[in-house]
Amino acid sequence: MTASFDLYQPGNTAIHRLDPRVKLAFVVEATLLTFLWPHLGVVLAMIGVCVLGLGWARIPAARVGGVLRVIAPLMIMVFILTLLFGAGTGPALVAAGPVVVTAASLARGALLALRLLALALIIFLWLFTTDQASIVRGFVALGVPYEWGLTLALALRYLPLFASLFEQVRDAQQARGLDLEQRSFAGRLQAYQPVLVAMIISALRHSEHLGWALEARAVGATGVRRSTFRPLRFRRADGIVLAGLSLVFVVGVALRVL
Amino acid sequence: MPTDIIVRDLYYAYPPLHEGAEAAPVLKGIQLQVERGEFVALLGRVGAGKTTLCMALNGLVPHVTGGVFRGDVTILGQNTKQHTVPDLARAVGLVFQDPESQIVQMRVEDEVAFGCENLGIAPAEIEERVTWALAAVGLSDYRQRSSLLLSGGEKQRLAIAAMLAMRPQVLVLDEPTASLDPAGKAAVFKVLAELRDRHEITIVMATQELERIARFADRVIVLHQGQIGLDGPPHEVFGQVARLQEWGIGVPQMAELGHLLTRRTGRPHRFIELADAYRELRRQARKLHMEKLGPAAAPRAARRGRSLADEPQIVVRDLAHVYPDGTAALRNINLDIYPGEFIALLGPNGSGKTTLAKHLNGLLKPTHGKVVVEQHDTRTTRIALLARSIGYAFQNPDHQIFAPTVEKEIAFGPRIQDLPASIVAQRVAEALDRFRLIPYADLPPALLGYGQRRQVALAAVLATQPMTLILDEPTGGLDWRSQQEFMEIVADFHALGRTVILITHDMRLVAEYASRAIVLLDGTIAFDGAPAELFGRRDVLDRAGLALPAVTRLAQRLEKHGMTPHVLTLAEFAAAWQARVGACRRKSGKAGRTVAKVRDVDDSQF
Repeated sequence: MTASFDLYQPGNTAIHRLDPRVKLAFVVEATLLTFLWPHLGVVLAMIGVCVLGLGWARIPAARVGGVLRVIAPLMIMVFILTLLFGAGTGPALVAAGPVVVTAASLARGALLALRLLALALIIFLWLFTTDQASIVRGFVALGVPYEWGLTLALALRYLPLFASLFEQVRDAQQARGLDLEQRSFAGRLQAYQPVLVAMIISALRHSEHLGWALEARAVGATGVRRSTFRPLRFRRADGIVLAGLSLVFVVGVALRVL
Repeated sequence: MPTDIIVRDLYYAYPPLHEGAEAAPVLKGIQLQVERGEFVALLGRVGAGKTTLCMALNGLVPHVTGGVFRGDVTILGQNTKQHTVPDLARAVGLVFQDPESQIVQMRVEDEVAFGCENLGIAPAEIEERVTWALAAVGLSDYRQRSSLLLSGGEKQRLAIAAMLAMRPQVLVLDEPTASLDPAGKAAVFKVLAELRDRHEITIVMATQELERIARFADRVIVLHQGQIGLDGPPHEVFGQVARLQEWGIGVPQMAELGHLLTRRTGRPHRFIELADAYRELRRQARKLHMEKLGPAAAPRAARRGRSLADEPQIVVRDLAHVYPDGTAALRNINLDIYPGEFIALLGPNGSGKTTLAKHLNGLLKPTHGKVVVEQHDTRTTRIALLARSIGYAFQNPDHQIFAPTVEKEIAFGPRIQDLPASIVAQRVAEALDRFRLIPYADLPPALLGYGQRRQVALAAVLATQPMTLILDEPTGGLDWRSQQEFMEIVADFHALGRTVILITHDMRLVAEYASRAIVLLDGTIAFDGAPAELFGRRDVLDRAGLALPAVTRLAQRLEKHGMTPHVLTLAEFAAAWQARVGACRRKSGKAGRTVAKVRDVDDSQF
């Protein structure tokens, strides 16, 4: 079924139990290091770390496969574009008219494509192992205003819903005879107009009702300091991981800068 | 008993949709008092102001909606004018119709805790309240689950728990069961009855569930033309059959039967619940010695079936469908659908009804087997082409409404079939007239009321003049009159010799309209045959969670007292009962020994 899905993969591994703030620190650090070092080795190491993490958190291969399916076309596109137009210097490996492939552009294409993969794995390692409420709690604990956190939470909650709404609207319009198949890109764009308009109307109706529901749930009650049902607890394991992350980060940056 | 809700002289009009327009009042002088622990059902036609009144009880009307508000609404002594909606949340919880737009957290326990957090309650107490609220709605085992993966009924119970955790004295629900299957509806009503009985929670529920109201509610309030038209216990309110029908609201089937028998026989029959009807009719049958008559012939419903010479219009062979995520939704489906059939497609939610229906117009392609529609294999035919012969009206009208005016919405289908402009115009004019939408022709359909949006959606599908019409839960959330009007249009379409496939949970519709019933269970066909035959198949009905119409059950229970069994509809019941009573009277007229006794009965009863 095209049921609305939840990125979070419930579990009780060490990675699941980590404080969301520590996991956020990992995301920031891993992203910075990946982009700071233009070395294939570093990127591959990062991918390795993420794969180990995903394995440790017992994320099913099918879910990781789903991420790969989404990211693969982007990776291939980046790789081919860089390969063809990256205009690296050095002897040409293949030359066909204006298109020149060099060893440098080959390496650069691979690096950029793998960086994308590393970035996706870093982010999904975080999203797969941290439930929505914890993500928000992490942000709020770091000083992000609660309203922003709630907005993020609602966005995470409603993205899958809007995805399935889109499918339902598309089906309903096709059932009326709207032809969305076998057309040119421009024609298809034109044909999708009824789908998009109906989608927007439904989304507006939805957000109006959501606003009512939030008020009915006492969001913004006067004179109340909001409490937290499952407060974050920074445990020893979190401290150790954070210390490790800091060390790696300092060493990594130092090596790069020096 | 404290009075939890006091509504005095409530007048309300929404802000006009565009400048210069007149603000039409929705509520015109509502007077209402609700005592602690009452379970009040709020009835009324679609657009009668039930939602508005519900929203006035927690202050959303007028704090959020604006508009003109006069009079006073007082909840637990707090006047809603002087308190914000979030502050009133401590006193009154409001559950909405659509579960999707009120569940904001992705884990069940977080959802329940959310309101408490907003009220600043200490974590230890939140823990207690979450445990209590989940137990009260029967979801204790679901604490750690993802709230997105619950069924519709479970989502509504979660929404109720989320309100309960804020410990409101009053719980207001706006059509919470409109989109649920029978199992989901039963579970929600059971939870509400327990909340009233065990926790003395005051419940106000807007609903169209006439049968369940008669069983569960303490009091029924009928909104009519912006005012409270009737107010009293169910047996009193539903006794006003003629008036409620005139207002378009309808009554439980047993009340309608009593009304019909009273009119036909002249003897007053007053009952609301099946048990009362059974006792009263059994008493009468015994007096007349109805059981001594021979077995009665089952009534023959004159329904248009298919003629044997016809070629099947839709052929489904060995159809299986597995969704990309691996869910096997359909297995081993074989069907021949003939022109002119009226098919009811039944089964619990998740049994594959919609998946099967979407194969008939090509929205889904078989992963095994094939579907052939009028000689076109759906695997190789474009959906746009199939849509010319198969019309599909979806449950939610908002999935298709997009045009700037009602007229353009209806013209869309015919227009993209490249029909000449004159024919398009003619079809649009016919549809506007047939659905009484002429006054709204130039208005944006998205701004119409729910009932009218449903009509626009159906009008738009019928304007394409398909050979087959698929209807997905067409009557859910509609009032009695709107349902009747809707089904009349469908019956007229069927009378032209066209095919209708109706996806429904409503066994009254099956009894009254269908010539063939197909029951799906776990993706396979569990039954395919005449409705009358299905109604005798207890095993299938139980597994599919389908409840027989009350008249059918009544006739079955009265069978051993001489009543004709296999009765499907009200009209059939009334005719059969009259025939049996008449037969008793003729028989007793001939048999000398019982004459005196029966004449006695006759005099007093007829």
